[in-house]
Amino acid sequence: MASTSCSVGGEVAGETGLALAKSSLPPPRPKSPPPYPDLYGKRREAARVQMLEREIGFLEGEIKFVEGLQPSSRCCKELSDFVVANSDPMIPAQRKSRRHCRFWKWLCFPCLSVASFCCCCRPECSCHLRKPKCCNSTCCSCVGSKCCNGSCCSNSCCCPKPSCPKCLSCPSCSCFLGCCCSCPDLCCCIPTCFRSCSRPSCLNKKSSCCSCNCKIKWSSCFKCPKLRLCCCFCNCKNTCSNPCCLAF
Amino acid sequence: MSVSELKERHAAATETVNNLRDRLIQRRLQLLDTDVAKYTAAQGRSPVKFGATDLVCCRTLQGHTGKVHSLDWTLESNRIVSASQDGRLIVWNALTSQKTHAIKLPCAWVMTCAFSPNGQTVACGGLLDSVCSIFSLSSTADKDGTVPVSRMLSGHKGYVSCCRYVPNDDAHLITSSGDQTCVLWDVTTGLKISVFGGEFQSGHTADVLSVSISESNPTRFITGSCDTTARLWDTRDASRAVGTFHGHKGDVNTVKFFPDGHRFGTGSEDGTCRLYDIRTGHQLQVYQPQGDGESLPVTSIAFSASGRLLFAGYANNNTCYVWDTFLGEVVLDLGELQDSHKNRISCLGMSADGSALCTGSWDSNLKIWAFGGHRRVI
Repeated sequence: MASTSCSVGGEVAGETGLALAKSSLPPPRPKSPPPYPDLYGKRREAARVQMLEREIGFLEGEIKFVEGLQPSSRCCKELSDFVVANSDPMIPAQRKSRRHCRFWKWLCFPCLSVASFCCCCRPECSCHLRKPKCCNSTCCSCVGSKCCNGSCCSNSCCCPKPSCPKCLSCPSCSCFLGCCCSCPDLCCCIPTCFRSCSRPSCLNKKSSCCSCNCKIKWSSCFKCPKLRLCCCFCNCKNTCSNPCCLAF
Repeated sequence: MSVSELKERHAAATETVNNLRDRLIQRRLQLLDTDVAKYTAAQGRSPVKFGATDLVCCRTLQGHTGKVHSLDWTLESNRIVSASQDGRLIVWNALTSQKTHAIKLPCAWVMTCAFSPNGQTVACGGLLDSVCSIFSLSSTADKDGTVPVSRMLSGHKGYVSCCRYVPNDDAHLITSSGDQTCVLWDVTTGLKISVFGGEFQSGHTADVLSVSISESNPTRFITGSCDTTARLWDTRDASRAVGTFHGHKGDVNTVKFFPDGHRFGTGSEDGTCRLYDIRTGHQLQVYQPQGDGESLPVTSIAFSASGRLLFAGYANNNTCYVWDTFLGEVVLDLGELQDSHKNRISCLGMSADGSALCTGSWDSNLKIWAFGGHRRVI
């Protein structure tokens, strides 16, 4: 059991029955903490040794396993036999597949303005694609920013355009489930700031990394994948000099 | 035993481990009597030859406003989910290019996404919150695109680099993380079932970057890590990896099972892709671009349906080499085709039926590539 006594200038404090004159006592000085055994460090080290010794057992087992292995040429033969026996839609020269030509389904484009008949009805098509239906009031079948106009897709965006009160994210004009939203200015920020941050402003619209009003402290840094650097996510400069921005 | 004695034992054990590893590597080298390229060349195999219009870009999926980091197909090969730096998950109808969902994420720094086998939920994970979030596609989004998170899988102590559903099992998902572990989750409860690796378990010794689960045997999965190894795991025994595959000289950024389920490919920061055999541990082939220039890191890989083609995206402008896995040669560069991406290809995915390859890029687009040439009857 560790001693709880402390010595002051060689004397042991707290001795009972001893009246000490004020003026003769030296001022108290704190002592170094007693050398308690570092139990946590010892246990951790013991666990590491145990893990290594277990790894030694695994490696010795693996060395025995490897002794009975077939050479790589056998594996190459198995691989070759498998590849030759299986058809591949991406390979130029193959045996003719009796199944539907799977590429043709990719050729069938949605109906355009006039040639609505051109949508795929060929027997080779696996009928995944049918002429898209145009919705009554919302655009659900058009590609990109084109919207439904009767039975065809037109270039003008006809979707209802709710205004974007907060340009927290930056969607370009496109039809998401019938809602076509255009931002007053093309905010390009990544990512959106949270916590105490206000809406990020785009000082340089051309850059992909906008400056941010965040005042997040370094303690909230996260580790960038692969770069092994700690960087604050809200530290983007206009030219994306933040290493996380460069690699992510 | 004192701490100093423990430290001595630690040093001695470390030396023994290193010696055993060297012995293992040497013994394995002796068993490598050939590789796939030499074997198939000796068999008289001719290389795959592509015409100028054999592989074409037949769809461009536009809608993201930031770099695309991850994508995944549904089993039916008709929808794709993508995750982007713009903080959104978009679900696409792959045939018509329409967006069916645009989910605004609570945390914009997303790195990975995955479709559940039934196609009704999507999972994503990323940097800041170390959480894998699950969204139901039947939930209603508000006009901002915000969909409520139906489940949050929290417990990792580092970023979530990759998430994959267990094949044919909507209730289980595996994540890999910057905390050097992988976790098997029960999605219905949000609880961890098993943790693979970690401080006191035998596992990766650096960030885990990629996961691939075997379609033919879903209890087996492969991981790739910054510790330059790939490891094979069995979900029924998390105490240690079933096998460790050495060879790469840099981070293993991506791993993918070969279609037969008995081999897998890797892509690495060292600029090479490699093919390994799971049952023997042999490294069967190295795919290294020729040239004197600096090696470009491999960002993502995918195999064609038969395994004859290996698609590999690289960390430069828009290079995506198509390797003939037999002869170990580049037979095509998707970056040189018409309508190719304008920036780095960050993710690849082959549809389940093998008819199309989807690529995602830092140019914010996704592209679908399919075979557009003629097939001759043999």
